[in-house]
Amino acid sequence: MQDMNLTGLFIDLMSRLGLNYEFLATGYEAQVWRDGFITTLYLVAITIPVSLVFGLIFAACLTSGRLWLSAPVRGFVELTRNTPTLVQLMFSFLVLNTVVSNMVGGAQNNPLSPFFWVVAVVGLHVAALHAEAIRGGIEAVPSSMIEAARGMGFSQFEILRYVQIPLAFRSSLPAIVNGLISLVKSTTVGNAIAVSEITYASIMVWTQRDNVVEMMIVLLAFFSLINFVVARIGQWVERRLAIPGYGL
Amino acid sequence: MSMAVTQTPKKSSRVLRYIGFVAMPLLVVVWSLIDLSLGKELVEWIPYLASGFSMNILITICAVTLGTTAGVVLGLMQLAPFWFVRLPAQIYVQIFRNAPALVLIFATTYIFPFEIVMFGNYLPFPDWVKAVIGLAILSSAYIAEITRGAVLSIPTTQWEATKGLGFSRLQALRFVILPQCVRRSLPPWMNVASSMAMGTSLASLVGVHELMHAATDASTAVRRLDFTIIAYVVVMAAFFTLCYPIARLTRRLEQRFNAG
Amino acid sequence: MMTASPATDAAIVKLEDVHLSFGQTQVLKGIDLTINKGDAVSIIGPSGSGKSTILRCINALVTPQSGKITVAGTRVDQLTKESERIQLRKRVGIVFQQYNLFPHLTVLDNIVLAPTRILGADKTATVKLARELLEKVRLSEKADAYPGQLSGGQQQRVAIARALAMKPELVLFDEVTSALDPETVGEVLWVIRDLIRDGMTSILVTHEMRFAEEISDTVVFTENGRIVDHGSPQQIFHSTENPRIRQFVGGLSGGGRGAVRDGEGI
Repeated sequence: MQDMNLTGLFIDLMSRLGLNYEFLATGYEAQVWRDGFITTLYLVAITIPVSLVFGLIFAACLTSGRLWLSAPVRGFVELTRNTPTLVQLMFSFLVLNTVVSNMVGGAQNNPLSPFFWVVAVVGLHVAALHAEAIRGGIEAVPSSMIEAARGMGFSQFEILRYVQIPLAFRSSLPAIVNGLISLVKSTTVGNAIAVSEITYASIMVWTQRDNVVEMMIVLLAFFSLINFVVARIGQWVERRLAIPGYGL
Repeated sequence: MSMAVTQTPKKSSRVLRYIGFVAMPLLVVVWSLIDLSLGKELVEWIPYLASGFSMNILITICAVTLGTTAGVVLGLMQLAPFWFVRLPAQIYVQIFRNAPALVLIFATTYIFPFEIVMFGNYLPFPDWVKAVIGLAILSSAYIAEITRGAVLSIPTTQWEATKGLGFSRLQALRFVILPQCVRRSLPPWMNVASSMAMGTSLASLVGVHELMHAATDASTAVRRLDFTIIAYVVVMAAFFTLCYPIARLTRRLEQRFNAG
Repeated sequence: MMTASPATDAAIVKLEDVHLSFGQTQVLKGIDLTINKGDAVSIIGPSGSGKSTILRCINALVTPQSGKITVAGTRVDQLTKESERIQLRKRVGIVFQQYNLFPHLTVLDNIVLAPTRILGADKTATVKLARELLEKVRLSEKADAYPGQLSGGQQQRVAIARALAMKPELVLFDEVTSALDPETVGEVLWVIRDLIRDGMTSILVTHEMRFAEEISDTVVFTENGRIVDHGSPQQIFHSTENPRIRQFVGGLSGGGRGAVRDGEGI
């Protein structure tokens, strides 16, 4: 009851400012809209770890010095960085998804949802950005440090695990946070294949209510807020990992 | 041993980078030649796709030009000594820098009317112009940050040095400060231009006839899975052939500036 | 793999006619060197004479084109796999000019990392050993500091403790004082002197002539990738017939240690 009253008060207040938020009082539209927020947050929460894990794997491949590992990853990184994410998504959804459907014998058996394709395409795209940042960090570790580790009997993998990645992760953290912010924004492409994230839900509302400006204000505030939180978490991690006496 | 490790990837990636320039168009050509019926279909649709892509280029050029002009002004406003100049610019940049391109394109498309009245004449306000404005808003926020960073990165000693040499303030700006700013902001500016070019594909979602839209039209008309694949490969090839050289050049410039 | 010939029982390191080049540059042109267990050997000579490369050969960081290298019963030149070289490196400690401590780990973790992760040693025992070693290098109070908070001399002493924590059969010192401020050189030499007195087999590449004279059992003079002469410190520093060595040693000891501070290449 309390909630309803607050909603009513908000709608009333906004309408005095000339802003139409009446849909909040309706059951269905408000529900769709709220689900849109949740879908976007869910999308972001799943895609971030995917991008980080694959970013690390890609970076390890790029710096492995083995052509059969680095060349395909390098090709993928360049492709995903230099083509629009929307095109990648449409290609994946219309082509790869159809191929999968044909393989499993019909679309009704295909377990891969549009949601999956957004996570895969955006996640791998941002993973490529992370990989470039981490690669830069790995290559910035002085060769004398690597020689010292080799001299103590570290294998190439152990050097990567104990020396290069901890140092590279710290130096590339600002770039990784930028990548995550672009990840948050990129999840909106899900709109194109009817993933009902927040922009999709907002369109549903404003086609009914003709309140585009009002919805835009909320959208911009929402994305500013998520990105603010992501940036803050990034700063917090950066501070936690800061090494006394070691300037990066 | 250690020499071998550091040299091999360099050499191979150089080869790889050259392949990058031609790989995707080559794939399209080879595939069309192998399957001639597909190739024939594609050749028929190429002019249509090309007209779509010219729209992408038009939107990119307009958006980047507008965005750069506005962005430089906003960036300098952010550095102004008066809060009533600084604050609006800062708020603008903070809001729009964090906004998804798609949201801004939706905003401009649905908020602006389809025609505008000017001196009693009804002028059409086409969707592609609205997309230009949406992307220009986004790029102006990015470029404002680049401009601000570039100006701040010039040490004050540079100003003092020019004063010591008898430059006027304008001369100092013209001959010493601005060239350095441009140098520093060129690589990130190119990144913005390239991401705007890729962002133009989003205009297809509001019905602008650009490459992505054209490819969807074509694949619905032809209704062949292999044609759908090749149509989207053509789309990717077009963007890649545009953006990859820009990315390469950006990296070259960055390396040169870092070394210098 | 393991060839322990009876003649080399006392010898822990034996190099025979070792040739090595990096691309076109010949760095080692036939090095013969035998080092017995418990010995302290100093390698001296002008910059670019291949001194540091000899150490890197002993630790299998570089592989020579020809020649025999036997270290603690292992034919290093015959090791073909990286995993075999890693096994060797675990037994041969090396300390570098630029200390190369891991900047993201505390002093204690720097020492503990390799024994626990690479050798699989028990964590508690290794921490105890690490604290003992820190006491030995007189840095007990710095156990929880990060390398960036230490002076060069302190970092180098930690690097020595880190090498010792692997319980190596011999330790290689590669110009360990060349990157240090003059005032911290002494504390590092002090630690090495202690170590040698305890009987650790040590091979030092150094520009510290007086130190080399004081602590070495054998001094080796290299020039242009060859060993020109070797013998007791008395022989090399005071009674050599060789004019080049005389010039080199005289020029350095006369000018004091400040004269040799130019960065050494290989």
